[in-house]
Amino acid sequence: MITIENLTKYYGKNRAVNDISFTINDNEVLGFLGPNGAGKSTTMNMITGYLPMSAGKVTINGIDISQNPVKAKRDIGYLPEIPPLYPDMKVKEYLSFCAGLKNIPFGKKSDEIERVMDLLKIKDVKGKLIRNLSKGYKQRVGFAQALLGNPKFLILDEPTVGLDPNQVIEVRKIIRDLKKDHSVIFSSHILSEVSEVCDRVVIINKGDIRAIDTIENLESTFSSGLVLHIKTKGSKSTAASIIELTEGVSELLDITDEGNDIHSFTVQLDGDADTIRNSVMTELIKNNITILEIFTDKPNLESVFIELINRPVQKTSLKELLEQMSAEDSKASAEPENPEEKEEN
Amino acid sequence: MFSIYKKELQSFFYTPFAYAVTTLFLLLFTYMLSGKIANLTNHFAYFSYTEVFYNVIIYFIFLIPIITMRTFADERKFGTEVLLMTSPVSVLKIVLGKFFANITVFLFMIAGTAIFPIITANYGGVVYSQLICAYIGFFCWGTMFICLGMLISSFTENSILAAIIGELIMFIFLFLDDFSNSGFISQYPKLQNVLFAFAAQPRFAYFSAGFIRLSDLVFFGSAILVLLSWTYISIEKRRWNRG
Repeated sequence: MITIENLTKYYGKNRAVNDISFTINDNEVLGFLGPNGAGKSTTMNMITGYLPMSAGKVTINGIDISQNPVKAKRDIGYLPEIPPLYPDMKVKEYLSFCAGLKNIPFGKKSDEIERVMDLLKIKDVKGKLIRNLSKGYKQRVGFAQALLGNPKFLILDEPTVGLDPNQVIEVRKIIRDLKKDHSVIFSSHILSEVSEVCDRVVIINKGDIRAIDTIENLESTFSSGLVLHIKTKGSKSTAASIIELTEGVSELLDITDEGNDIHSFTVQLDGDADTIRNSVMTELIKNNITILEIFTDKPNLESVFIELINRPVQKTSLKELLEQMSAEDSKASAEPENPEEKEEN
Repeated sequence: MFSIYKKELQSFFYTPFAYAVTTLFLLLFTYMLSGKIANLTNHFAYFSYTEVFYNVIIYFIFLIPIITMRTFADERKFGTEVLLMTSPVSVLKIVLGKFFANITVFLFMIAGTAIFPIITANYGGVVYSQLICAYIGFFCWGTMFICLGMLISSFTENSILAAIIGELIMFIFLFLDDFSNSGFISQYPKLQNVLFAFAAQPRFAYFSAGFIRLSDLVFFGSAILVLLSWTYISIEKRRWNRG
């Protein structure tokens, strides 16, 4: 078990991480979620003992990392954001060096290297110089390094960045398999990935923890019930009043004007979705309003995430925050996936 | 520690690096040597290996920082410092592993020079005692400058900058005794004493003259210790100051 108590980090006068506490249980995959610059990497660097903390305490299986770093680090495998590779080394040489660093006994070394190379499917490049590898391979070699010696805790900082979709799926599978006898902390800003792989999530923004819970709990706590999306053509005020007055609609969440008299409504439902949807449709048709689109949607981690991140920043509107996040996302990575933009439209 | 030592050696010897540096050094050494031999035809027939060593030091100032420049600067540049720092290896062992690897390359370099006394011994006579003293002195002197180079490498992530600053500081060190003997400094005897205490050159001169003095050994030993500790502190300090 890793326990993090009141961890704080200052960079000069800048506070990067503010008094955060949580624990990582055995055999658990913990997602570490937040926008860029939220303090994810800093926290991970502190947990692994790379950066000293300004205040607070990290204990790994009861060993304080700042009191007994060498002993505590034995149980940790760390894949930093940028995989720590020597460009002039061959893959096998590099892994052999890492195995030496982790004090793997000489007899077990080659078996262990074979094992991690098999696991991450990098055997075909074992004789290649690291500098000649593609980004995906580099990422996997870095991951292999973290797995060497079978450490109890794996700390992975955005392990799927730079991988192609097939490899992403493979890496997610590896992480799920690792759960059997490891604990994994795994950071990401790709929400679908986190909801797929993790048991619990820690959501962090600007150095503060916004939530720690299982994904299901978060989804049910923060957005109860289903959401109905309706796209109509016709009078906006009539449509809005009809939708709002229909029984079972608890709240009108959002209205977007799409031009040409087309409007999108998002409403929170309270009750049986099918009945409500039907009555909304009947009422609208009765009043001569054309329905272009109508569907119910489960609230997902994304909306929870946005809500949580958005919450304490009261002055920023949702739209502004989304714009800011999508701008950050496209800046940070060439990841084509931009789910926020869809909502914005 | 051994794995770091091995990895450093690999980076020197699996690449042309160590061979290129050694070749350059031997070339300069031989150039010096052949100059001395050419001089033998002149009026005074005097030749000593130790003198060659003494003269060759000036070239070493340019070669030692090239060995040490990458020690810590490159780890930082490639982000591999994280790997070392999050491994169950203490910073002290990292510093020592790298130190011994640099020393090994240095020994490899000076080992090549042994070929000349060996050939000479086959055809004539060599004053071994003096030669061994010169080697010991040269080794001490080089080790001290390797520590200095490592320290400078730990300050920056630009290895070229580390080499240039290293060369500059070593150059200053080399001429410290000349400087402290200059007319200007002689006006202030106390300052002269202080400066002279730091000058390594006259101490090396004793070695190359065939003397092993305890005070010189202590000087080099403590300089090595201070510089290595400083390197250790500098790496730890950078971790704390990061950001």
